[in-house]
Amino acid sequence: MGLTAGHPVEDAVTPAPLVLGSNDFGSVTDRVCEINEWKTPRAWYVAFGIALTLLGVLLAMVSYLVLAGLGVWGLNMPIAWGFAIVNFVFWVGIAHAGTLISAILFLFRQHWRTSINRWAEAMTVFAVCCAGLFPGIHVGRMWLAYWLFPIPNQMKMWPNFRSPLLWDVFAVGTYATVSVMFWYVGMLPDLSSLRDRAKTKMRKILYGVFSLGWRGSARHWHVYERAYLILAALATPLVLSVHSVVSFDFATSVIPGWHTTIFPPYFVAGAIFSGFGMVLTLIVPSRTMFKLEDFVTKRHLENMCKIILATGSMVGYAYLVEFFIAWYSGNMYERYTFINRAMGPYWWAYWIMVTCNVITPQLFWFKKVRTNLVGMWILSIFVNIGMWFERFVIVVTSLHRDYLPGSWDYYSPTWVDMMTLVGSFGLFFTLFLLFIRFIPIIAASEVKGVLPQAKPHGGHE
Amino acid sequence: MRTAPVGLRIGAPAFAKPGAIAAFIAVGCSGMIFGSGQFFESLLVVFAFLASISLGALIFVMINHVVGTTWSIVVRRLAEHLMMNIVYVAVLAVPVMCGIHHLYDWSHPELVTGDAVLTFKAPYLNVPFFIGRTAFYFIVWSALAIALFRHSIKQDGDGSIGHVESMVKISAPGIAIYALTQTFAAFDWIMSVEPHWYSTIFGIYYFAGSFLAINASLAVIVIYLRSRGSLNGTVTVEHDHDLGKYIFAFVVFWTYIAFSQYMLIWYANIPEETVWFRVRWDGSWKWVSLALVFGHFVIPFFALMSRYMKRNPRVLLAGAVWMLVMHYVDVFWLIRPAFSHGAARLVAADMTSVIGFGGAYVALFFHRLARYPLVPEKDPRLAASVAFENH
Repeated sequence: MGLTAGHPVEDAVTPAPLVLGSNDFGSVTDRVCEINEWKTPRAWYVAFGIALTLLGVLLAMVSYLVLAGLGVWGLNMPIAWGFAIVNFVFWVGIAHAGTLISAILFLFRQHWRTSINRWAEAMTVFAVCCAGLFPGIHVGRMWLAYWLFPIPNQMKMWPNFRSPLLWDVFAVGTYATVSVMFWYVGMLPDLSSLRDRAKTKMRKILYGVFSLGWRGSARHWHVYERAYLILAALATPLVLSVHSVVSFDFATSVIPGWHTTIFPPYFVAGAIFSGFGMVLTLIVPSRTMFKLEDFVTKRHLENMCKIILATGSMVGYAYLVEFFIAWYSGNMYERYTFINRAMGPYWWAYWIMVTCNVITPQLFWFKKVRTNLVGMWILSIFVNIGMWFERFVIVVTSLHRDYLPGSWDYYSPTWVDMMTLVGSFGLFFTLFLLFIRFIPIIAASEVKGVLPQAKPHGGHE
Repeated sequence: MRTAPVGLRIGAPAFAKPGAIAAFIAVGCSGMIFGSGQFFESLLVVFAFLASISLGALIFVMINHVVGTTWSIVVRRLAEHLMMNIVYVAVLAVPVMCGIHHLYDWSHPELVTGDAVLTFKAPYLNVPFFIGRTAFYFIVWSALAIALFRHSIKQDGDGSIGHVESMVKISAPGIAIYALTQTFAAFDWIMSVEPHWYSTIFGIYYFAGSFLAINASLAVIVIYLRSRGSLNGTVTVEHDHDLGKYIFAFVVFWTYIAFSQYMLIWYANIPEETVWFRVRWDGSWKWVSLALVFGHFVIPFFALMSRYMKRNPRVLLAGAVWMLVMHYVDVFWLIRPAFSHGAARLVAADMTSVIGFGGAYVALFFHRLARYPLVPEKDPRLAASVAFENH
């Protein structure tokens, strides 16, 4: 299946337009708001039903975990960090594309971001929710999970400030807060459009409250644009810091395979890679379903494929450098860990990781693949799989054979582990489907800014 | 299509005449009178410093081609000349290779045989393979630079869009090739000075400094050229601002990488890794380390944060020169502690090397600059680049 949109003239110096069709300011608002105003389609109910069911599975698994204890998971010694941490890092990683698109691409003046930033940011917020769940339920007595926070208490008991696990609480907490703020502030003009178009009292009140009295005056816009720039500048270091701190969870240790200096930038590249993978997975079907081909064009999809190619290659670079230095170090433990990764009992996980993260994304060198909807969608699923396995390889293969051969063991997840992972997708998709239904999924006000009509000379320069 | 602005050529300044270049080289070589030890140690620092600027230029040009930026078109030619200086740096590699026995412990068979780790590494760290690798890196980089430059110059003649396409096609795989060769060059030239020590982030560390150095160099060059009456109205305060943003961003990125390396090694506290920082904290090296913390991060971070500072040519010039000096200090700090434990010393040969080899680098740059238009005159995006404004 090819892309249905028209093919305007483009060459190396004149990129394709960012909005196709004969759209003007009015039609952009109409097209975006309609998605929230149509009668709820049957397909949405079906999808929501499935997502809710999976969410139910998650609740059941967590309840069972609380009632029965951590023994229902496949953890053992020395693999005390299993699926929970793998899933945590997986979801935090996915959460990176949103802020990258909204903050870094904004600072780099990549205007194509306007059509995809809203759902990438939404995805970010929901992925952080999924991520936050896992350390919370991993602590054992999860009713004491608030001990993660440094809260003054009568026992004078504090978390260990020298522990990267505590830094994680701060890093992920900050990230979640700023992401929500960024998402919400950017949404204000669009929420007010929905308010102004609302037909029912309920919609009027709810969208009215959430649009915070936005009237679109010049003064509002002035304050809004400044706020957006400042938030972008604040969020940019966060893109790097969150996953760097997550990588510290591993890299500050002395475990071969965990302790290596490239971890922070390597984790960040992997996170952006996985985030874009998930954005593409969600956007390709949604675009067709909601007939958004005019806004999410071939150029947008191609750009995302290129970012996946670039970040996937960075991850491949990190694998290579790690492997080389493991040999170059002359340290037998380092060397063994890496040989064991590729050829030990978990060889299959390692090669799934390499295949999905490094090899298959190389297909994006070809324009044919970058413009083929089915092809890119399948490759984006590969990215999701590969990045999950990357975390599995890091967590499990580094732990399962430590310095003492006497304590070596093999980790297998239980059905509870599996169903908890599946259930976390239920949480993610439940939130995502609610978002699609009630919030404008495209930043209409920003898309208007990239229309030719918005240019000072009406696009005739 | 609008035509490009006129008056975009300069004559070669006196210091860029062939005789002057020869004189610079002679000054550089005169460092030999202070003894081959001093000479090679100083040479390696200058070599790694100049290589980082040309390598930064190469990646700057390639990235801007691939992502199709408009603002950078007006400074592209300047970056291209710095990129082409990689050929000169390749020549400079010859004396470095002559100093191999002085610079690299692993090149002494008698040291290697008594050392289990070095014996283990010998298949990689040995003289023929080392020289072969360095030659290979320079061949690859020169080939990329020449191919890109050739298209750019041809475009000056015919203005064809085909050249833009070709440059993009060279740059995309070029970036991948660059990432690997630059990383291994950093491992070889700099990291293997202390052959027992290793750090996976080291290639990125060198890249961070190098990308900072190219943006700082471009800022210095455009401000200098404008003061000489060239490029006025072509490279505007808007472009200064963007260069300033890149300098600021890479001050932070360098810090991020440097901190990641330091923090992880400090925290895990494994002797075979901490020794590297231990040496850099001994005696007067402590002051160099602190100078990097403050001079390469704290001061420029606050000085270059505001919009006003980046749009004020005097401040930006001061900031860019400062960062180039700090980048030299950084490279110095990476290499020299291995040769003078406990005492950071700037020796006479450092002066002759910087003035001589560095001077020749600058002179060659201006020599090239005088031969071609200062901007890619017929790039179809030039007018848009000149008119570019930050919002």
